[in-house]
Amino acid sequence: MSDALIEVRDVSVTFGSGSRAVRAVRQVSLHIEKGEAVGIVGESGSGKSTLARVLAGLQRPNSGEVRFAGESIYQRGKAYRGENRRLVQMVFQDPYGSLNPRITALSAVSEAVRVHGVGSRKDAIAKSLELLGRMGISERDAGKKPRQLSGGQRQRVSVARALSAQPSVLLADEPTSAIDQSAQAQLLNLFRGLLDGGLSIALVSHDLGVIRYLTQRVYVMKDGEFVESGLTVEVFDNPQQEYTKQLIASIPGRELHKALS
Amino acid sequence: MSVNAMASESSDVLVEIRDLVIGIQRTRKDRLLIVESANFDIRRAEILGLVGESGSGKTMVCRSLIGTLKRRSASIFAGTIKFDGMDLAKLEERQWRSVRGSRIGYVPQSALTGANPVMTVGKQLGEAIRRNRKRKEKDVRRRVMELLELVHIRRPEVVYDQYPHQLSGGMRQRVMIAAAITQDPDIVVADEPTTGLDVTVQAEIMKLLKEIRSELKMSVILVSHDLALIDEVCDRLVVMHAGTCVEVGSVSAVARTPLHPYTIALNRSRIDISTPGAPLITIKGNPPAVGEWPAGCRFSDRCDFVQQDCTVGRNPVLVEVRPNHWSACLHAERLGGTSE
Repeated sequence: MSDALIEVRDVSVTFGSGSRAVRAVRQVSLHIEKGEAVGIVGESGSGKSTLARVLAGLQRPNSGEVRFAGESIYQRGKAYRGENRRLVQMVFQDPYGSLNPRITALSAVSEAVRVHGVGSRKDAIAKSLELLGRMGISERDAGKKPRQLSGGQRQRVSVARALSAQPSVLLADEPTSAIDQSAQAQLLNLFRGLLDGGLSIALVSHDLGVIRYLTQRVYVMKDGEFVESGLTVEVFDNPQQEYTKQLIASIPGRELHKALS
Repeated sequence: MSVNAMASESSDVLVEIRDLVIGIQRTRKDRLLIVESANFDIRRAEILGLVGESGSGKTMVCRSLIGTLKRRSASIFAGTIKFDGMDLAKLEERQWRSVRGSRIGYVPQSALTGANPVMTVGKQLGEAIRRNRKRKEKDVRRRVMELLELVHIRRPEVVYDQYPHQLSGGMRQRVMIAAAITQDPDIVVADEPTTGLDVTVQAEIMKLLKEIRSELKMSVILVSHDLALIDEVCDRLVVMHAGTCVEVGSVSAVARTPLHPYTIALNRSRIDISTPGAPLITIKGNPPAVGEWPAGCRFSDRCDFVQQDCTVGRNPVLVEVRPNHWSACLHAERLGGTSE
């Protein structure tokens, strides 16, 4: 486990204090290896988004440790300093809320490319167009503003922007929940390609289908704790905990197709 | 067989939607069409799924059933919606008041926007009950309790005095379903009722919709972009693409032998029935934007089976390719042949 890219040890997050304290994350430990997709699945209020924010360095845990490439992500009081800030990128649930409505997709990406220091303005634009192209966004669509793009396109722009930093880890918090099924398939194919290219992905989602499709390992979260974890295939085929069984039984639609095939 | 023969053996047909055209009148001469040909029936006590990508027109069709198109500045330009001797497509707002809510109930996508935030659950449901006729206060309360129990709300006497924000998402949606059925409607229209809710809660809400169908004998229209969900809950489904109905049939027939390339493509992109890690087959391109529809079949430039005659002329209409199974694909016969 020493070559884990991200390692979380005994992390707890508590909001508020005294009798009104909410223990959102309780003594949670996990690790993400290079080139691996790890799922964190749970329902609303399970603490999964808080945990995602902890991984991203947006929420400081009350106790426990988050390590990236062997070192604490907090150095001199700040999360992900220097080079590390580039290496860990995040994609959020709502692509509309995370893109500036007044600038085009191309500007949004090329801005990020330049922040992470890639040559001249011209180079940045060429690089951005190439990135957007890989995400299936045409040059014509690259000139559009977020409101002119579909939800799936917006989400792919967000991914392009995250990738412009050439990260080694992508943290994705419910990236597919706001988009149509066919757009979801496009995004998942894209993620799969990135995994093959050596990127690590932490996928936080309440959608078990997405988790089952993309991840190798999964952590099932409930009330701030992991109730079950392991290889995704094993957890789905043979869930040990009552809660996991219940979750899996709630996935719609598989019965009919099982019956037909 | 043409669309008009759709209602052939149909004493159980409740609503007949024919050639419905919905759009927005932008200027006197400029019309933006959103739905150009909606054709399907709603049968008694069935759960009918309405599936399609965003922008396919499914929400507009729902709105035409509850007479709230005007609130989106849209209106019906042509076509009929026959329901109990009326044509809903031609109803005046004044006439809608005796249909909306009492004959056709509505469950909104988000219970937070659908409910009044400053009224308790009991008050809101009570108001819906009193809307059509005067009742004694005591009777109203009894009926509200009855409804809350019907939608399986635990401790209804507590929830009665609570405000919507105090309830969980699943509870709120149950209350909205209770509101939709207060006046014993024939049809309940549920527009993506579980978006944003957890899977376990979604499963409970679906169970509840099934009960409404089988115990109260109401028809339910379930709008969703999730084919897996439609498969699980619905009896029949309508697939919409770019403002048209492209396939109509029973859930099992459509799952076994889809007769439209769009349905085939949707099924292929489903993750719930694909092998983990294997490439998902996506649909080429993006759904055409409203008003930017190609000539001929609107799916033609994304279709894997496209032929020359697909890209010319008018948008093809639904044809009954097999008994009770309609497709708008010009080459549906061949699709049906190959997949069996």
